[in-house]
Amino acid sequence: MTGLEKPRSSHAKAWEERVAAYEEEARSNLWRKRLREFSRNKLLTTGTLLGILIVGLGLLGPFFLGSDYAGQSLRNTHLPPLTEGYFLGTDQYGRDLLVRLCIGIRVSLIVAAAVTSIALVVGMALGMCGGFLGGHVDRVVRSVTDFVWGFPLVLVAVLLAGGLGQGLLPVILAVGIVNVAAITRVVRGEVVVLRTKEFVEAARACGVSNLRIMWRHLLPNVMAPALVLASYYVAVAIIAEAGLSFIGLGAQPPLPSLGKMVADGRGFLRLNHWESTVPGIGIAGLVLSVSLIGDGLRDVFDPQLRHEAKGVENG
Amino acid sequence: MKRTASRLVYTIIVLFVSSVAVFYAIRLSGGDATAAALPGSATEEYREAFRVRLGLNEPIYQQYFTYMGRILSGDPGNSLTNNKSLTSMLSEHGRNSLILGGTAFGLVFVVGIPLGIIASLRRNSWADQGIMSMSTVAMAVPNFWLALLAVWLFASRLGWLPSAGCCGPKHLILPAAVLAFEGIALTVRMTRSSMIESQNSDYVRTLRAGGLSEWRIICKHVLRNALIPIISLAGLRIGQIVGYALIVETIFGWPGLGQVLVNAVLRRDYPVAQFFSLVLVALVVMGNWVADTGYTIANPRLRKST
Repeated sequence: MTGLEKPRSSHAKAWEERVAAYEEEARSNLWRKRLREFSRNKLLTTGTLLGILIVGLGLLGPFFLGSDYAGQSLRNTHLPPLTEGYFLGTDQYGRDLLVRLCIGIRVSLIVAAAVTSIALVVGMALGMCGGFLGGHVDRVVRSVTDFVWGFPLVLVAVLLAGGLGQGLLPVILAVGIVNVAAITRVVRGEVVVLRTKEFVEAARACGVSNLRIMWRHLLPNVMAPALVLASYYVAVAIIAEAGLSFIGLGAQPPLPSLGKMVADGRGFLRLNHWESTVPGIGIAGLVLSVSLIGDGLRDVFDPQLRHEAKGVENG
Repeated sequence: MKRTASRLVYTIIVLFVSSVAVFYAIRLSGGDATAAALPGSATEEYREAFRVRLGLNEPIYQQYFTYMGRILSGDPGNSLTNNKSLTSMLSEHGRNSLILGGTAFGLVFVVGIPLGIIASLRRNSWADQGIMSMSTVAMAVPNFWLALLAVWLFASRLGWLPSAGCCGPKHLILPAAVLAFEGIALTVRMTRSSMIESQNSDYVRTLRAGGLSEWRIICKHVLRNALIPIISLAGLRIGQIVGYALIVETIFGWPGLGQVLVNAVLRRDYPVAQFFSLVLVALVVMGNWVADTGYTIANPRLRKST
């Protein structure tokens, strides 16, 4: 308080306090309501529990089990699960499957996180610019996304692997590019509708700059649909990474990736099918949990989006 | 008509841009093309002569035009690893891919649409819930793992079908089923929601009020309208099948275009990688164009707005 301010009456102060208290209550009610809606949604709770289980295994597992994923023990090869010392058994080089599963989950999560952050940041920026600025910018954004959108992900990844060599980078880039296109399309569509709304008009009339309108007024409004869509594309990213690693274009040995582990166990299906079943269940569980969460979020945030998002994904 | 024409122009531009992209991506790769074709003991002079023979020392845009010229005149060159001509490889492997992809494409609709119709007619029954949860799981299970499970069950355990190879009808069953699986799941979902949507629409209520039998309403009116978007979007499934074929063909050892492309990328056999990626990319772009045209024909509202 400086001396320059007008002295306030006690009445006004009390009024302000009441307003603040009311706002506080409304805010906490909103969160309670949202939380209740979340916990009532069966898809969301199942998906979250499954997700916590798997992600917990990936994040915390190595602290308890050690992270020696490449250590070979040629006397203990092809052990079945529940053998002493190896909870899930070993693979053809006698490497502990449980440890490799944990690290494999980590790799999947890292790829998914990288891809989704690229897709969200770039996709929202492009979509907002295209939708809000219109004109040539919009035309360029639209034709580039249409162009990328039509391509099957695996083909893009194989092309990039042809250019960049094998490894996780082309996988991340390929899935990232395709997902950027997906997010851009949706965000652009939202913004085209939003830009004619009164609040944008009002902001513009007050002389607010384009950048600030996009940042302060449009971004919060496109956040929910973009996040819902992104959760959906996390599943696509995980499957793509696993598939590309499976055919030898993704993670390179000895780094375990779930897809690579499935491929390694392939030759020993008769001997010990767990070597590819364990990572396979890992992938399926991860993907299932992410898609359940995605479906649940969609139900909670935006019931109308349900019809559209079902038909849009492609290879 | 105007929309179709403008989409055709757009498709041609896309084809050109993607051919440039593919050419640059693969040509600028770090690997040395001579490493794939020549023995390790080859001298530097010999390698240089090899590069000159293939035109690898010219500026890259010039290489692009020579390359496209040769493709358009029907002579895209030979493989670096086995020296086969690319056109004979294309016809041989393309036939296999066409058999596999065509079967999978057919399966998607022959299996997916009836299941979706059943689910929508018996809404919320056990059949509906069973079909829908199956399709949720089917979209979560990655197709390469599904392929392994199928091999394990039908080839190793039961011994009914061969695990890999080509090209009899018995060899075809497993890869085609795996390739179609996700498409089926998607088609089931789309058919169901589209059927339900048109069952709830006003004209159906009018027909019901008019006393038409339920069977007749479903067959003559609901089904027709519900299937329009699914059939017209069939072109999009082409892209999906091309993408997954890269993985499925590699797993089952089905000697199609996808397997050839993946092997070429792994071995850095760049003429093969380049040519076959171009072929697949062109296929996908054409598929998208067909999908768009189909959708325009089915949706009269789109015909006016370009």
